[in-house]
Amino acid sequence: MIRYFLAAWIAHLRKAPSLFLLTVLGVALGVASVVAIQIINQNAIGAFSAGIKAVSGEVDLTVLGQTTTFPEELYSQVLATEGVAAAWPLYQIDVALADRDSFFLQVFGVDLLSQVRLPFNSSPADFSQALFEPGWIAVTPSLALEMGWSIGDPIVVTSGMRRVQLVIGALVDFQKVSPLASRKLAVMDIAQVQGLLGSSGRIHQIDIQIQEETHTEELILRLENRLGPSVQIVTPRQREQQAAALMGAFRLNLTALSWISLFVGLFLIYTSTQASLLRRRLEFGLLRSVGATRAQVFGLILGEVSLLGLLGVILGLPMGYWVAQSNVEMVSATLTNLYLLQEIDSLQLSPSLYVLAAGIGLGGAITGALFPAIDISRKNSKDLLTAFTLHEKSNSLALPVFGMGWLVLILTALWFWFLGHSWKPAGFVLAVAVLVSLPLLTPFLIQQICGRIKTRGFGLGYSLKSLAARLQTTSFAVSSLAIAVSMLLGITLMIGSFRRTVEVWVQTTVQADIYLTTPSWRAEPEATLDGELVSALAGHPGVVSVDRLRRLLVSIDNKRISLVGVDMDLSGGQSRFPLLTGDRMEVLGDVQQGGVLISEPLARKSELDVGDLLQVYAGPGKLEFPIAGIYYDYTSELGSVAMDLSVMGEIFGPGPINSLSLYLEEDRDPERVVDEIKARFPDIPLQIRSNQRLREEIFEIFDQTFAVVRILQMMSLLIAVCGIMLTLLVLARERVSELALYQALGASRLQIFRLFVGKGLGMGLIALGLGSAGGTVLAAILIFVINRTYFGWTIQVYWPGWPVLQQLATILTAALLASLYPALRASKTPAAELSRDDLQ
Amino acid sequence: MTATPALTFRLVSKVYDASSRESRFALREVSFDIPPGLKVAIVGRSGSGKSTLLHLAAGIDVPTQGEVSIRGRNLAALSDRARTLVRRQEIGLVFQFFYLLPHLSVRENVCLPGFIAGEGVSEFEERASELLEEVGLLDRAEDNIQELSGGEMQRVAICRSLLRKPRLLLADEPTGNLDDANSGLVMNLMLKLASKEGNTLVYVTHSAELASLADEVWRLQSGVLNPS
Repeated sequence: MIRYFLAAWIAHLRKAPSLFLLTVLGVALGVASVVAIQIINQNAIGAFSAGIKAVSGEVDLTVLGQTTTFPEELYSQVLATEGVAAAWPLYQIDVALADRDSFFLQVFGVDLLSQVRLPFNSSPADFSQALFEPGWIAVTPSLALEMGWSIGDPIVVTSGMRRVQLVIGALVDFQKVSPLASRKLAVMDIAQVQGLLGSSGRIHQIDIQIQEETHTEELILRLENRLGPSVQIVTPRQREQQAAALMGAFRLNLTALSWISLFVGLFLIYTSTQASLLRRRLEFGLLRSVGATRAQVFGLILGEVSLLGLLGVILGLPMGYWVAQSNVEMVSATLTNLYLLQEIDSLQLSPSLYVLAAGIGLGGAITGALFPAIDISRKNSKDLLTAFTLHEKSNSLALPVFGMGWLVLILTALWFWFLGHSWKPAGFVLAVAVLVSLPLLTPFLIQQICGRIKTRGFGLGYSLKSLAARLQTTSFAVSSLAIAVSMLLGITLMIGSFRRTVEVWVQTTVQADIYLTTPSWRAEPEATLDGELVSALAGHPGVVSVDRLRRLLVSIDNKRISLVGVDMDLSGGQSRFPLLTGDRMEVLGDVQQGGVLISEPLARKSELDVGDLLQVYAGPGKLEFPIAGIYYDYTSELGSVAMDLSVMGEIFGPGPINSLSLYLEEDRDPERVVDEIKARFPDIPLQIRSNQRLREEIFEIFDQTFAVVRILQMMSLLIAVCGIMLTLLVLARERVSELALYQALGASRLQIFRLFVGKGLGMGLIALGLGSAGGTVLAAILIFVINRTYFGWTIQVYWPGWPVLQQLATILTAALLASLYPALRASKTPAAELSRDDLQ
Repeated sequence: MTATPALTFRLVSKVYDASSRESRFALREVSFDIPPGLKVAIVGRSGSGKSTLLHLAAGIDVPTQGEVSIRGRNLAALSDRARTLVRRQEIGLVFQFFYLLPHLSVRENVCLPGFIAGEGVSEFEERASELLEEVGLLDRAEDNIQELSGGEMQRVAICRSLLRKPRLLLADEPTGNLDDANSGLVMNLMLKLASKEGNTLVYVTHSAELASLADEVWRLQSGVLNPS
């Protein structure tokens, strides 16, 4: 049987190479979609832990501040705790290169005198001057090569407003220790980092190795009791989980989208397998009649499909890597911009990814082919050897299946309404229900739309009518395209609505003319503006008023959240915090009395409301604030809290400002004033942007965030379009007699060409209709359910007319283009191909 | 002055797999002229070349040697497109297995040549109704093809072949898939309509009885034609 299997497979491959290639491509694209996202997801987490591993090595526990830093004195207390074998402190700070504002070095301050053998200690680098040479820093060889640095070269970095000269003391290949570590990793002596770049007497973390036979949980308890509530003690796994949770929603949504591509691919496999098996029914009938069992026939079919799947995996894996590689910069920027996590410097394929790729490729191929394989293998030889049609059966099943589709939708909706709405993943269940119901609704709709067309000629109407005749074949292609269209449209509507919502929000809140901060302000709360500078800027010619912002990091439910203090009394400043509900003046009054405003994402995720008490852990310890209002905020899904600046000063003590907004006189040109300020303070590291420029940056980040989503959308569309091409090729092969009949009756090749293009167009139009309906529902689910649950934002529904039209036109054009080659093949069918079957 | 023959074969041969050692002569130097209006039956066993002869006559296939002409026009000298147009204008075809399309109604199947020709719908719909009435199926015009019996389907196929008033009607075993009762019915119908329309009719059959209904009976044996 194996010899037969191989010979048959090769023979069929030769006979229909284009069908084979399209099927393999479909599997490959599905595999590539899923693998690309998983590569990015895994490496995003990997990058986070790699940096720590490269510097600290294998640790058992880590002490972290509840907010950012904590007193250095706790280090000696850790060392003195029973069960601690060794401990070492770390100070971590991101500094910007002076001549490249948005290029950050991730500097770790470590105790280079420590007895503990740190992972990079064994490198050939010379650390002897690390303590003595001011500004001594070790960087990676790859970064040094990129920047043209050598040992001994000075480099200037900025931390907040500080401009500091460092000197390259050594080259340390951290990536040898931990391959996913960023090339921007650097190490200095901890005392130097604290003094030159950060804060003396404060550290970010203490890594701990546990003594043998010490119970980890017991040690954690001892440390918690000893060190107090200003810190948390976590295992490496917990740290990774925290980082994963930060971007959990982002990753989950990407993963879900990638699986849709695979789902679309399943239809392609089904169509291809179904068509192949139908063509070969005589062959199977013959095999059965000479003694092959059902199991052997079933095995033969699955064997061939598995080979297809395997080839799809072989092609899809590098494709997925290429997609990930092409998008790693964008995703990395999103991670740093939105989640303040380490950027992804390089990609690694873990063994689990190979297993995943094999699983989804083979599994997907087998799943797609399972039903046709079972169907054929169950038939007896007599049925196989006589002509039969599946299409009669599928025609009669169209209505019950249509009913099933509606049942799925209604039952899921009811479940959600009564039971499921409080379950976090419920939104995905709704989305799956929509996507699953589309293929169930399709056959009946094709039957009704196309079957009822009154043929008036040999044009588009005739093409559409003929779609209803081959329901089994055409409905799967239409379904897969409808699913891809739903995804495309749903996400476009969601992104368009989101963008418009953010546009309106920016219009309302970004009112100042100029915005100033330090280059490293995002990552570093210590990146503050000097008081003198603030006064000088407030008095700059043309400046009417200034809006000061002070930022602290606090801990809410063990998550680090920004607490910002602003002058709530600023004239016209109320628009900075557009409220969900409540009277603005009343809320303002409450805030000035010590209440806080919390952002919508924080309110939704922590289930907080106006009037509740917000519990935070901050520098002074545990604090409670009455919630005076909830405001719309789209800067972060993590959430933020706002309070009056003077109240912040009373509670936390006086402190420097992190950023400043300037309001200018009416006739002043903001760009000119920006230049004036830059010229006035050339040596101070400042990030100065006009209102216009800030808005542009906001939308650059926004668009970047969704860039990888667009790639996934396109892959789904590509798979679906392959499905259209494959279906039309199958029809051209299956319907040889019908095409020959048309030729015999006087149809020209051009007419047959147009007939097939019409079929492709028809399938595209039906899929567009179905997909538009599905996409609208999907958009609603994304906007009102998934987004609210996972991100906590309100998105106002908006129809981005032009982008939607463009997409619909693209889809239709793609369907049209996909039909060209099959149409050409079909038009070449000679009239002499008339044979006895295949017209049924 | 004699009328131009409706169909002419001049030393027509058709060889399959001409380049291989096992090439097969389907037709050998077949020659004939069929004047307009004549009804010719061609009989022969399976493999004698009957279907090949009809395919060549319809311009569906081209001869390896010789000339096939329809009303003086040499089909082999025409391009594929031109031959298709000749088929569209001049020839009606009836097949053994009907070749009706299941997704079209009875009326739509009859009108199919009109759709292909791009003619005005009202013109050929009227003609379709006339033909269906002639064959007694006007009341089934909107039915699905699959609801018809074999004989009824072949009647529909005959209507289709006559829709555009072709001068030459070619029928390949038109009763080959029918029982005796229907065979006679269909054959007589076809002959009657062909006479009424003034068509030249060439039909292929196994049945001597049905062949005898024609004006002339020609025998095809191993690719060689013997007009009787």
